[in-house]
Amino acid sequence: MTLQNTGPLRLDLSLAGDPIGRVLCWVLALLGYLAVVGGIALVLLSSDIGEWDRSLGSSLTLQIPAEVSAARIETILALLRQTAGVRGARLLELAETAKLLEPWLGPAAATATLPIPRLVDVQVDPKAAIDIADLRQKLSSVAANIQLDDHRQWLDNARSTAIRLASLVAAGIAIVTLSAAALTAALTRARLAVRRETIELLHLIGAADGDVARPFQADALRRGLLGGAIGAAAALVTWLVVSGVMPAHALPAVVAWSDWRLWGVTIAAALVAGLVAMVAARITALRRLSLMP
Amino acid sequence: MRGCGPAGVAVVRLDSIGKSYGAGADVLHDVSLTLEAGDFCCVTGECGVGKTTLLNIVTLAEQPSAGSLTLFDIDALAADRATRAALRRRIGIVFQDLRLLDHLSAGDNIALPLRIARVREDEIRDHVNELADWFGLAHRIEAHPPILSAGERQRVAVARAIVSRPELLIADEPAAGVDDETAATLAHVFERLNGLGTALLIATRDVALAQQFECRRLHLERGELTSPDSGAWQ
Repeated sequence: MTLQNTGPLRLDLSLAGDPIGRVLCWVLALLGYLAVVGGIALVLLSSDIGEWDRSLGSSLTLQIPAEVSAARIETILALLRQTAGVRGARLLELAETAKLLEPWLGPAAATATLPIPRLVDVQVDPKAAIDIADLRQKLSSVAANIQLDDHRQWLDNARSTAIRLASLVAAGIAIVTLSAAALTAALTRARLAVRRETIELLHLIGAADGDVARPFQADALRRGLLGGAIGAAAALVTWLVVSGVMPAHALPAVVAWSDWRLWGVTIAAALVAGLVAMVAARITALRRLSLMP
Repeated sequence: MRGCGPAGVAVVRLDSIGKSYGAGADVLHDVSLTLEAGDFCCVTGECGVGKTTLLNIVTLAEQPSAGSLTLFDIDALAADRATRAALRRRIGIVFQDLRLLDHLSAGDNIALPLRIARVREDEIRDHVNELADWFGLAHRIEAHPPILSAGERQRVAVARAIVSRPELLIADEPAAGVDDETAATLAHVFERLNGLGTALLIATRDVALAQQFECRRLHLERGELTSPDSGAWQ
C-alpha cells in the first residue's frame, strides 16, 4: 500500500453540524464583542492622552490680577514674547474670559463689576525647555500675584487617571480572553464526551492523539474566527450608533473610521478569538486523549 | 504452533500478566502466552471469565496490573504514546460490540484503518471495493450501519479489522449472533488470513467454533489460562 504523506489526516467526526459548535461560535461572538468594545475604549483613551499632550504641552496660561494696569500687562506680554521657546502670547478679551466663566457664573455675569483676572494664552514650542520657575520670577517682578500655569499637574493627574482606566480595560480584555479559552475548553470537553465511542475506536485502531485532536482544533479555529468576526462587527455597529447618538463633547475623543487602530482592534479580535479557541481546543483534546491508555 | 514470520520474532508475548480492578479478585492471574507470526490461537471460556480483558490488554486498551507485554518485540507497556499508536496500527480488532460508526457508510467504516495509516485515497477505494466483494457487501457499501442486518454489520466489522493486512488479528466473539452462512464466511476469512501469515487470537465462549479451526486452543477459567491437555478444557 502506498502512503499518502500529504497533509494532515482528515477524520470525519461530524463537527460541522454540531449544536455544541454553534454554541461555541456564539459564545465567542459575545466575548469578541466585549473585547472589541474594550479595545475601542483603549483607542479612545490613548487618543485622549495624546490629544492632551499635544494641546496642553504646547501652551501655558497666565493669570493676571484684575487690578494690574494696562501698561504693566503690555510689559508682561513683551517679556513673554522675548522669552526663548515662546511662539506667541495673546491677551484674551474680557468677553472671552467671561465666556469661559459662563458655566460657573451664568450668562448674566457682570464682567464690568466683578474683578475678573486677565488671561494670557501663551503658545510655546513643545521641544523647547522653558525654565518655568525663572519665568515666574521674572513675571512676579513686573506684577505681584501673577499665576503661570503650565498644566503639568492637571496633565499628570489626567494621564494617571487615564492609564489606570486603560489598565482596568486591558484587565477586562484579558479576563474576556481567558474566559474564551475556558469556555472553549468546556465545550470541547462536551464535544469529546458526545463522541467518546468514536474517539475510543479511532484510538484503538491506531490514530495518533494529534490526528484525533486536529478536527476539534480546526473546527474551533473556524468557529472562533467566525464568532470573533461577528462580535467585532457588532461592536463596530455599537460604536457607530453611540458616536452618532451622543453629542460630540460627551465622548472622550473622536476616532475617525479611517483610523487604522479601530480596524486593527477589530481584525485582531477576530484573529485572537480564532487562535485562542484553536489552542484551547487542542490542549483540551490532547489532555483528554492522554487519559486513554 | 506455526510460524511464517521472521524467526524468533514474537507478535505477542504476555508474561505473567495479572489484572484486577480495585481491591477485587484477580480477573487474570499469571497469564503467559506467546504468539508468533502465523500462529492461530483460540481462547475459550464462559462469560465474564476475563476473555475480553485479556484481549483488551493485548490491544493496549487496558493496562495490566502485573506482568509484561511485548508486541512485535517491543515492550508495549514501556513504549511512548506514538509507538503504542504505531503498534495498534499493526493489529486488526473485531470488537465484541463491533463498534461501527453510524455516521459513516459501510465503505467508510471499512476504510478507517487505511485512512489512519494515510494510504492513498485511490488505493483505499480499490482495497475497500475488493474486500466488500469478498464479503458479499458490494451492494451495501454506501449503506450506514443502522440499516444493515446483524450479519452484514459483523462482516463490515471483520472487513475493517483486516483491510490493512494486520500482522495480528484479535477477534472477540466474532461469530456471536450471526447466521450460519456468515459464521462460515468468517471462519473461511480467518483461515485464509492466517494462511497469509497473520497471527490470530480469537476469544469465544463457543467451543464448537474454536473446534472448527486448526488452531492452538486455550481455556480461560478463574483468571488462569490452561491448555486442553491439562484437562480443564472440554
